[in-house]
Amino acid sequence: MFKQIQNWFDERIGLTKVIEEFNGERIPRRGGWAYTFGSLLAFLFTVQVVTGIFLLFYYVPYFPIARNATYFLKHHVVFGNILLGIHLWGAFTMIFFILIHMARVYFSGAYKKPREMQWVAGMVLFSVVVILGLTGYMLVGNENSWWTINVLTNVASHTPFIGGFIREIAKGGTETSVLTMQHIFAVHVWLLPIVVIMFIPIHLFLIRKTGHQGMALEYKNSKISEDDEKRWLKPDGTVPFFPDQFYKDMIVSLVVFAIIYILAVYVGAPIGPMYRPLALHFAPEADWYFLANEELLKYFPGHGLIIFSTFLIPSIGFGILFLIPFIDRTKERSPFKRPAATVLGILFLLLLVYLTLIGGEPKAPATV
Amino acid sequence: MAKSSEESPSRRTFMMVVIGLISTVIGIALAVPILGAVLNPLFRKRDIVWTKLGKISDLNLKPLNPTFVPVYFRVKEGWSVNTLPRQVVVVKQVNGDLLFFSNQCTHLGCPLHWIASRQKFLCPCHGGMFNATGQVVGGPPPRPLYQWVHKFGSDKDTVYIQNKFKDNPKDRGI
Repeated sequence: MFKQIQNWFDERIGLTKVIEEFNGERIPRRGGWAYTFGSLLAFLFTVQVVTGIFLLFYYVPYFPIARNATYFLKHHVVFGNILLGIHLWGAFTMIFFILIHMARVYFSGAYKKPREMQWVAGMVLFSVVVILGLTGYMLVGNENSWWTINVLTNVASHTPFIGGFIREIAKGGTETSVLTMQHIFAVHVWLLPIVVIMFIPIHLFLIRKTGHQGMALEYKNSKISEDDEKRWLKPDGTVPFFPDQFYKDMIVSLVVFAIIYILAVYVGAPIGPMYRPLALHFAPEADWYFLANEELLKYFPGHGLIIFSTFLIPSIGFGILFLIPFIDRTKERSPFKRPAATVLGILFLLLLVYLTLIGGEPKAPATV
Repeated sequence: MAKSSEESPSRRTFMMVVIGLISTVIGIALAVPILGAVLNPLFRKRDIVWTKLGKISDLNLKPLNPTFVPVYFRVKEGWSVNTLPRQVVVVKQVNGDLLFFSNQCTHLGCPLHWIASRQKFLCPCHGGMFNATGQVVGGPPPRPLYQWVHKFGSDKDTVYIQNKFKDNPKDRGI
């Protein structure tokens, strides 16, 4: 029976061949576990889309009601807390593993020719996912959401020349209002997910197009000299994507999903109090992935310097990240043979962790 | 029968120009209403209202001792009329003049806390500090506190507040 269906499709569109071609891609062998993060992220994004769609069954993007809709979803919908929890912890996990994935690619020099555009496509995905996280935080509709909207649109207003317009367009007016929530909702639910859905295939297509290039350790026994670009086309050993690599991807996905699920069930998604615009002793807090930037905002006092923390440093930082493959054009791939890049990368990560840790400390005023 | 592009290079050029023109026309036709929807806030007039804050004599103000008084603006926002509750920080200066501050930090807009023991407004987000007369005394804020546009009633005691800041060139929301 199954064979007959398969034949029916094969006669018409050659389905088996397409699937075999897709699944049979050769993957470098030694670093198998290090290559699982990409698939893991695709899996996590799918989970976000699926849970997000069903959160929409209850969510209302209207400021005073949004938080109560979220509360209802968590406390009165059967297993709603798990659904909401998976969406929240899935988002956190996704941002965390994007950073890991980027670090892996950076340290193994996988962004080098001919894979420059792949890094750029990946950076687009990274930026969009971070904005998805921030807008998701705003949509909960609690006190933190309100202040996050205000603070971030004020940050955007420091963009030279067009800052004020950006703030007004994003908010749908000068005040944080019903239109603000509606805009953020549209961006979080339609606009940005579509960008991600468009760029994941581009990212994948580019990987397949540039062929199976792995980390330096895949070429330990290679006889071709290091300057020769052909060296990077012939890893010592390869395995087919399906089932060898896919098997590892599935194991990693399962472990991560289990962690997300446990966090969703036992920690859940904190909703927090309703927005109280008159509260006198509320200290807004950012999500963990924004704390490094948040910390940066504390320095650079005064009118002339504020632009450094709100615009220049973040945009130059992002610009450098985007352009890494065009800045570092050496052929060397092993992290041990390009110490400058490796040390800079480690220092950058340490700085990020440091800023995140001190950014997360309780702030002075609330405790005085 | 018309020639195919392979038979005639000029025909090929013609087809490509037509394809390009059609794409451009459709693109512009779609972009105009989309841009209209996105940029709409820039063309809208802000709803400005006067709202009664209350009588100053009821507040029992002491010099340099900020009092937080809520004010409730009823304003049109998009398709709805909403109540915007906001804090007005009333400060009586030593010479008796009154200041009406917003409790929003001038750095990025977080809600200020008045710390009586230090006689300072502190921002819980990025550590901005202001003294009781609204001047920056520490941290990243670029300018003194925003002041509400206000007026006194005929009895010289009742205060009315507008949902608007004085000296607000970048038009930050209230």
